[in-house]
Amino acid sequence: MGWMSRILGVIMAGSGGVLLIFGMDPTTGIFSYVYFFLGLLMMSMGFALITGGRQQQREQKPPPPTVTEIRCDNRECTFKEIRDFEKGDYILKPVDVPCPKCGGRMTVEGIYIVREEPEQTITI
Amino acid sequence: MQIGLPTNDFSWIINLAFFAFILIFSLYGAKIQMWQWLKQIEAGLIELKRMMLESRQTAIDTFKIYGRTEKDVASEIDRWLDYFTIMPVDLDPAGILKRLDHLLDNRRDRFQEFVSELAPDATEIQVQSLENTLEVSQVLDLIFRIVRHFYILGKKTGSQIMIMQIQMQMPDLLRIAKAYFDAIAAFSDGKPIGDGIGPLVITKFAREQGATPDTYVHEISREVGYYPVEFEERTVLALRATGPGGTVGKPGFAVKKLVEENKGKIARIITVDAALKLEGEELGRVSEGTGAAIGDPGPEKHAIEQAATENGIGIEAIVIKEDEAAAIGVIPKQVIDSLPEVIERIKTAILKRTKPGDKIILAGIGNTIGIGL
Repeated sequence: MGWMSRILGVIMAGSGGVLLIFGMDPTTGIFSYVYFFLGLLMMSMGFALITGGRQQQREQKPPPPTVTEIRCDNRECTFKEIRDFEKGDYILKPVDVPCPKCGGRMTVEGIYIVREEPEQTITI
Repeated sequence: MQIGLPTNDFSWIINLAFFAFILIFSLYGAKIQMWQWLKQIEAGLIELKRMMLESRQTAIDTFKIYGRTEKDVASEIDRWLDYFTIMPVDLDPAGILKRLDHLLDNRRDRFQEFVSELAPDATEIQVQSLENTLEVSQVLDLIFRIVRHFYILGKKTGSQIMIMQIQMQMPDLLRIAKAYFDAIAAFSDGKPIGDGIGPLVITKFAREQGATPDTYVHEISREVGYYPVEFEERTVLALRATGPGGTVGKPGFAVKKLVEENKGKIARIITVDAALKLEGEELGRVSEGTGAAIGDPGPEKHAIEQAATENGIGIEAIVIKEDEAAAIGVIPKQVIDSLPEVIERIKTAILKRTKPGDKIILAGIGNTIGIGL
């Protein structure tokens, strides 16, 4: 369902609403029933056009970047580096570069994404 | 509204309009609703088709760098997308697991053969990851084709129940398809996925006890090996599929083989795996229970249960809760952060329920893509 049908739906629903109100007016006379039902019909068709078909695409967030966490193998050294994932990285892969802090060997300790959890609306 | 107006010459028009309205909506109300449902299914199908086509393209782009032309790769992948496996007959259930296992082995062989031919320059590890990429494309293609089938069939036959069912299932189908669609990038780049937490736990535990990739005993069953490690005067056989290629191997049969090789010496089997979380549960929550935590079609789980039952071995499971997107997508930090707790629970289980001198099988179940030894 494109924009045209949505616009048509809005126009039909609006016109239907006007007809409906017009039909409820005591001065309208004998055709009030006709206006009333015609208004209802047009409104329902209009709403069907608005809501039918594809839901409006919500703007999609790009996926969070994958990061590689490298740590020094020396337990006393606290050096840790987090950089973007590079093809060929895998968890527990020995890194060629020595630790800049103590000169020891380093290993890829983690590859992960930091996913934002949606806020809980249900608190039960 | 002019309800209750006195009757006059025009009252028949009012009555006619009223009855026409009732008639139209009682006769065609369902048709109008069907039209709305069909439009909603159509919109879902467009989205499914987009995901299917993009995943196919990703698969082609991933394969073409390993030695074949794009045209060759595209035509071969199209031929392979609707590859199927016929489940064994269950009217005579005797021996069904053996037959199923045989079929799954055959399927795996065909997959490996196909991928090796399509990517001649790929290493063994890359072939495993390429297999996973192809499988994701297959899943998306299958979902699209099934939904399209019921959409067209529903339209042809005008079957309200058929259309209604798809329309109602569409949000869930789209959610699953989206999880697979997001996962294809992980598989094509060889990134670790949430399902791999089991093997990751095993290696982290084994390394804490001094194991190295050199102490890993390879191929006790298809693509599965183990680290023999000592922990608090007990011997732990820490078992997992061999990575960092994308494979789950056959860990169930590996457990069975280890039990047979260590007849009467295994005191406990502990399985570690990712499990689907319930909505509302937190990602990376650790739970434990009794039984074999392994999500295969049957033969592997049966092998573990049978080995444990026949030898009177206690069997327990530790699972890490994840949703579909985390299980088949790049592993989220929340899941990685659960590692210390899982290892702590493993240690507690071993210390509490085994005694010094015992042997324990610790099996990490899951896909080892992006997880080294």
